Formats: sequence, structure tokens, C-alpha cells
Amino acid sequence: MNRHENKAVRILIVDDHPVVQAGLASMLATHKDIEVIGSASSGEEALTMAQQDTPDIILLDLRMPGMSGIDTLRALKEAQTTARTIILTSFETDENIYRAIQAGAQGYLLKDTSQDQMLEAIATVHAGKRYIPRPIAARLAERMLRSDLTARELEILEMLAKGLTNKQIGHALAISENTVRNHVNSIMEKLEVSDRTEAVAVAIQQGIIQVAS
Amino acid sequence: MKRRPQIWKWLAISLLSFAVVAGASLLFLIYLHSPKHGLPYHDSFAQGKADEWEAFGGTWAVYDGGMRNDSDERGAKLMSGSPYWKNYLLEADVMLLGEDGDAGLIIRASDEEQGVDSYSGYYAGLRSRDNMLTLGRASHGWLEYQNVPMPESVQAFRWYHLRLLAYGCQIVASATFPLSGGHTTTAAMADKDCLSSGRIGLRSYSAGGIWRNVHARLATEDDLLAMLGNKTRQPFSSEEAAGNGITIFGSGSLPSHVNQQARPATNVQPISGLRLVSGSQPTAITIRGVVSLTAPLYVQDSTGGIAVKAASSPPLKVGDEVQATGTVRSGAFHSNLENATVQLLWARTPVQPVSVTASQAATGAFAAMFIEVEGHLLSKERDAQNTLVLNLEDGQQSFRALVHGGRGDLLFNKLKLGSLLRLRGVCVVDSEYTNNLTPFVLLLRSTDDIEVVTGPPWWNTRHVVAAGFALLLLLFIGQFIHSRIEQWRLRAILEEREMLAHEMHDTLAQSFAGLGFQLQAIRNRMPEDMPAVHKQLDLACDLVRHSHEEARRDIMMLRSESFEQMELTRMLEQCARKMLDGGPVEIEVSQAGDIRPIPLRVNDTLFRIGQEALANAVRHATPTRISIATAYAKNFVQMVIEDDGTGYDAGSEKKGFGVRGMKRRAAAISAALEIATSPNKGTRVQVTAPLPARMAFRWKTHPKGSGSHEQA
Repeated sequence: MNRHENKAVRILIVDDHPVVQAGLASMLATHKDIEVIGSASSGEEALTMAQQDTPDIILLDLRMPGMSGIDTLRALKEAQTTARTIILTSFETDENIYRAIQAGAQGYLLKDTSQDQMLEAIATVHAGKRYIPRPIAARLAERMLRSDLTARELEILEMLAKGLTNKQIGHALAISENTVRNHVNSIMEKLEVSDRTEAVAVAIQQGIIQVAS
Repeated sequence: MKRRPQIWKWLAISLLSFAVVAGASLLFLIYLHSPKHGLPYHDSFAQGKADEWEAFGGTWAVYDGGMRNDSDERGAKLMSGSPYWKNYLLEADVMLLGEDGDAGLIIRASDEEQGVDSYSGYYAGLRSRDNMLTLGRASHGWLEYQNVPMPESVQAFRWYHLRLLAYGCQIVASATFPLSGGHTTTAAMADKDCLSSGRIGLRSYSAGGIWRNVHARLATEDDLLAMLGNKTRQPFSSEEAAGNGITIFGSGSLPSHVNQQARPATNVQPISGLRLVSGSQPTAITIRGVVSLTAPLYVQDSTGGIAVKAASSPPLKVGDEVQATGTVRSGAFHSNLENATVQLLWARTPVQPVSVTASQAATGAFAAMFIEVEGHLLSKERDAQNTLVLNLEDGQQSFRALVHGGRGDLLFNKLKLGSLLRLRGVCVVDSEYTNNLTPFVLLLRSTDDIEVVTGPPWWNTRHVVAAGFALLLLLFIGQFIHSRIEQWRLRAILEEREMLAHEMHDTLAQSFAGLGFQLQAIRNRMPEDMPAVHKQLDLACDLVRHSHEEARRDIMMLRSESFEQMELTRMLEQCARKMLDGGPVEIEVSQAGDIRPIPLRVNDTLFRIGQEALANAVRHATPTRISIATAYAKNFVQMVIEDDGTGYDAGSEKKGFGVRGMKRRAAAISAALEIATSPNKGTRVQVTAPLPARMAFRWKTHPKGSGSHEQA
């Protein structure tokens, strides 16, 4: 980190929206310790620029035509670029956060984040740490905990914990009993248990679901 | 969301299946019209079955493995086969039942009607009157082509083997009498303007007959040559026929010849007079009349009819003129001629029935006479001797009809209870037949004496039940289609929403983000000594961020995944947790009633109102506890968001904007919105939305992986 200490942080902006590109560049350019070395509007472009211009930090949008943010992340990792990546997106679905962190992102920011928070994030990640805002971190942890259960499976798991039968669950969710059974099987498989009672027990134990009092 | 192509897939599948069905039907039609379909053919007379035959006159019925017509009717026909048969050979054993007339086979027939020569086709038959094998063509008139004498006289009650072949325009007939060494007599014609195809048939003229081993198969030229042998054949056409001096006359125009042995007696009594004969003094009486029924024997003259119990009798056919001598025995309403000697005088045509009503017949005035009666069929049965017993009713008058099983099950099965039948038969009042159950019994000559006038009335139990089922099925299908359409519509809406969400994300949200950054950049560059501008820029930044947040919320709202996977209560809870950012506020969630899918619009609106209420609570009320409660009832769903925060003065206009939005949304789904608040007493927002009544059961199940978004 020493070699960067007195220098400005070199930043590459990757976003397919010109308004965002321009705005972000303007805003960051007002800070002396930040140098925006360029803007890429696609994953492919970002890959080339990351290898040529060796940025310290890449601000990466997730939703782009062609290569998505996640794809770009993976490609960057494969190309063994030194740059650290912060996801800067409009969305915060559990799945997106989870996949981005899995793919090697060091930070996750929403586009409506305040300037101060953004600067803090850049500084933190540049210092070699991760920066994930508290609520997002909480959800990420939750997502990690829940292994690979889908939202639907989670919902069914909660109903199982309440003691509903497949038929009642099917009725409540307006799906067939068969579909419910498939979901239950999938839940048991993912939690590595042999029956539904055990599934509920394990789920409560691991904090995947909370028992309503 | 790739569901639209599924519709095309469905369409393609239905089009394809339609094409397959159409193609198959076409092939089937071609198959039916093929000149080979149904060949070779062999009768099933031995099994007592002949449902494929159709009678035109006569008394056709299967007896002892043979098809029998014991009527003197001229030109009685029994037809079968396909009108598309072309080149084929028809063979049968034929026996004549009378000395006067002919019997044989028909090929290439069409336009059959009841009557002497009422058909188009070729006929070959054995004629006992002049011992000929006769061959000719009928076109509703008789064109006789060739008469070839048989080596021995043609006699009744002997089996002859007849063959009749059509190949191209060549027609060949041959007859063999196997018992006399099998000499084959052949007649042939080459018809220039021939009939090219048609059905097969059995026909007798006056003689009656029995046919067995009826067999038809495709014919080749070899068959033709084999049958012709070295016989030469001459061209024939109807125009030339007259000019060439060939006899052309109706096959019925020859006079019948009188049986020389049986001389008409002179002391013949009218049959009606026998009723007056006293039973105490049996005297020999002679009558004369026409046979109206052979078994049992009934004879009728112009005055009346009588049952004849013959001591000795030659074989008789319906229509034979006979003379019978015996003793009269009178019963209650009838008399029989018993111990009679019957002599055959000559063949005549069968008598025509007298048309009467059942109550007229019940008086006994028509006893032993051949009558025609109409009646509604009450019940039908078949006894061990293959006799059909029909119970009928005409008005208040009930009667029975008995008939030999006929030519198979078809007619018996076809007779529907309640239908109106017209029956021809001999009216019998003898208690031997009536068992004193009905005033009279009708003895029919054959099943062809049954004619269905009108079918049973439509409104019987079975039809009503069937119609009920059909209606139910229609309803079911209608409901199914309705729900499918509803599902499609919903999917289309969800797809549209998702597209809208993406569109908003790509334009609106990104623009807000960019604008926000740009404003921040301007603020950063603004010199520190302009606090007023700074303040304004900060406000602008806040506004943009707020708008961005709103847009983000809208987008989340529109994305169908969030709907498919979440129930309202859970969605609100998540929303609240997100807003609180893990803060110290306690969230209480409760739910009552059965969770069930509610219409998308209602769900949507409740969520937006709930969101607004939660946002108000979190931003302005600084509560320590927020409770979210939903209740599902039979025809409404209720949502209550309550906080213990600062509340506000309900009268003030300060919160007006948000509340107005909630009211507007609630009104759009006819929901009742109640907001209870006062300073420092917290706020309670309650929405009650009406729901369509819950259905008793659901038809559809979900396609795997799609959500719970359709309406109950």
C-alpha cells in the first residue's frame, strides 16, 4: 500500500449510462486525492483499460448490455489485474450482492449513496479492506446463512415450521401439492436432512428462520 | 418470461393435429370409396347374422344357416356390399321355394327401390317355368340379354350353385346343379355402355328362395376367361337389343301357370262364413285363399282369414293361392280349420294389409287377417327360440307382436323404447298366442314388417342426464378457458411491468444517479463562502436522492419476482426492516385468517399504502415499535400499520401529501382507509379491501416455477 500513500487513487468508472459516467467523473474529479483515469461503457472496454491503465479501483455497474458486471468481475480476476473493484449499482437484491461478493468484489455501493460514504468506501477498499454498508452486510450474511434456499423455499420452510401440511401450503401459495412436495424435497436436500421435521429443526438452529412466538 | 412463444407452440401443435386428423379422415374416405374395400366378402348366415343386408320387399330372415325369402312377392331384393365395387365375382348356393318364378343374384346394383325391376344392375337367375339360366340388365325396367337352357329342368328344393362375374364391361353368369355331375351352364354378355360399379344382391321373383354361402371376391381377367371357357360372347347394348330381335320385356309380364294337379273345388265357402258354423257338429269344409303367413299357416280370402292346422301340406310361400279342406273348430272369438288337407293352386302376389287401429283390431273383426297397426313400443325381449316379442300400446290399447329373429341383432338393438312403430302382420286373437294378456297378437312375417315411424321422444331420462353432463362439461371447459385467459392476461401484465421496470431502471434511475453526482460535483466546486448556494445545492442533492429512492422503490415494486415470491405481510416486514436499516425499532408482525392469493391490484395497492405508512412512521414519528398486521377474511383483506411514535394533528395539513396519495390508492380498489392519529399518541393506518368471493375449488395448477399471482 505504501506506494499509493501519497498519490491520488486512480479510478476507472465502468457504466453504460453516459449520465452516470459524466456525473460520477465530475464529482470524483473535485477531490484532490482521486484521479479518474477513464470511463468504460462496457465490460470488454473495462477489461482492456484495466490492463492498460492499471487503475487502483474500478467502480463497476452490474447491469450492462453484453458482459454483465458479474461477468466483468470474473474476467478481471482471470486477467489477474491488480485493481480492486467496488460494485456501484441501483439494485440491492440479495442475489446480486451475494454473487458480486462471490465473484470477488471488495465493495458494494448503491448509486444513491451519499458522497461521503462513497469516498469512505473508496478509501477503505484502497486500503485493502472490504467496504459493505451495514444493512447490505446484514443481508449478505443472511443470504450466506440460508445456503442456497430460494425465497419460495424459505417461505415454504416457514410454513412447515408452523406445522402446515403440503396441501395447506399449496392452497396458501396457490400452487399444486406436487410442486410443494418438490420444494420440500429440494429444501431437505439443501439442508442435508432426511425429513421435514429435521429440516425445520436445522433451519431454526441455524437461524435460517425465526419461530414466531 | 419467455411465455409468449408457448402460445405459438400451442397453435402449431393444434394446427398440426388438425392437419393429421384431416389427412387421416381423407385417407379413410378414400379407403371407403376404394373398389376393394370390403372384399372378399363372405356371409355369416351360419351364425344367424346378416345385419349388413338391406331388404326391398319380401320376407327375408335367416333360417338354418341360409337366407330365406318365403314370399311370392315379385322382385323381392336383399342388398349388401359397397357401391364402389367394380370387378368382382359373386357366388352363392340358391334354392327355389316354388315351381313358378325365378331366383338368383344381382351385381353392380345401385338405386334400389321396392318393386319388380326397380334397380340398376345385372341379374342372373334360374327360372323354373322354362328351365333357363337368364341373364340381363335392370334399369328400372328389364332388358333380358340371354336365356341359356339348363340341361335338366329347374326344380324347387334343390341346391344350385350360381356364379355371376363382372369384369370391365363383360358380365358372365354360370349355374351348376352339383347333384347331376356338375355340368356348368354359362351365359355371357358384353355390355357396351355398362354400369361400372355397384352392390351385390339376392333376388327372387315369385318363387321365393334360400341363399347360402354368399361369397364375393375381386375378379381378374383370368377369372373371366376361366368362366367363359370357349364360349363366344356378343356385344350387347340396349339400343341394339330391340333391333336384333332380342326379347325385351319386364321379367314379371309372363303369366303364371296353373298347377295341373290341384283343381279348384266347387263347393268353396267364404272364410267369414265359418264363424257361424256350429262347433258341435264338425263337418268338412273347403276354403280357398292366399297364404298370409306360412308358420303357423294363415290363409285369407276377400272376406276374412283363418288359421289352418294342416294334416298334410306342400311347401308354401306367402302369396300362394291354396285350397284347404278340414273341420272347423270355433273358439271364443275365432275359428280354426283343423286337420286340413292343403293343396297349392298357384302362386299369386302376397295380400296387402288392411290398415286399422289397435282398438279396431282388438274387437276381433280382423281376426286371422293381415293387417297394419301402429303402436308405441313399451318393451322388447328375445326368447330362447330367437323370437322377438314386442309389447306395444296405442292409446289405451296394448298388444303384442311376435316375429322371428330376422337377420341379426341390428334391428332388435335399433328399436328404441317409446318409438312409434308401424307393424304388418296377421292379427291373432287365439288365446294360445295372447295368453289372455292382450286382446290380440300380431304375427309378423319378417322383421321387415316393422317400420319405425318416429323415434322415441327426445326428453327421456338418459338424454336429460346426457344433456346435463354435456352442459357441465361445457361449463367446465368454459371455466378452464376463462382461467387460462385470465392467467395469460396476468402474465402479459407481469411481463409488461417487468419491461417497464427495466426501462425505468435504465433511464429514470440512472438519470437521477447521474444528476445527483453532477449536483454533488457542482457543490464540491462551490467556494465555501457562499452558504446560501451551498444550502440550496444540498437541498437539490437531497431531492434528487429522494426521487432516486422513490424510483428505485417503484422499480422494485414493478419487478414481478418480488411479487411472485412474497406474500403481503412478509413484503411489508422486509420493507420496514430495510427502512429501519437495522435500527433499534421493534417490528411486530401478525397475521390472521388463511393466507391466500389476492388479486394483484389489491396486493399492489395495499403494499404501496403500507410502504407509505411505514415510511411516514420511520421518517417522522420516531417510534420504538411498529406493528404490521394483516387479516384475510372470506371477502375482504385488512392491513393495519400502527406505530407508537409522535403522531400528528389529524387536522393539520402538514402530512397532507402522503395521506392524499394513500386515500387515492385506496379509493381505486374501493378499499376503506382509516387513519387514527393525534400528537404523541402514535398513528394507526387501517385499510380494508373487498375481495371477490372465494371459489369453492380451483381448476388449475401452476406451471412449475411460476408464481402465485393469479386470482382465486
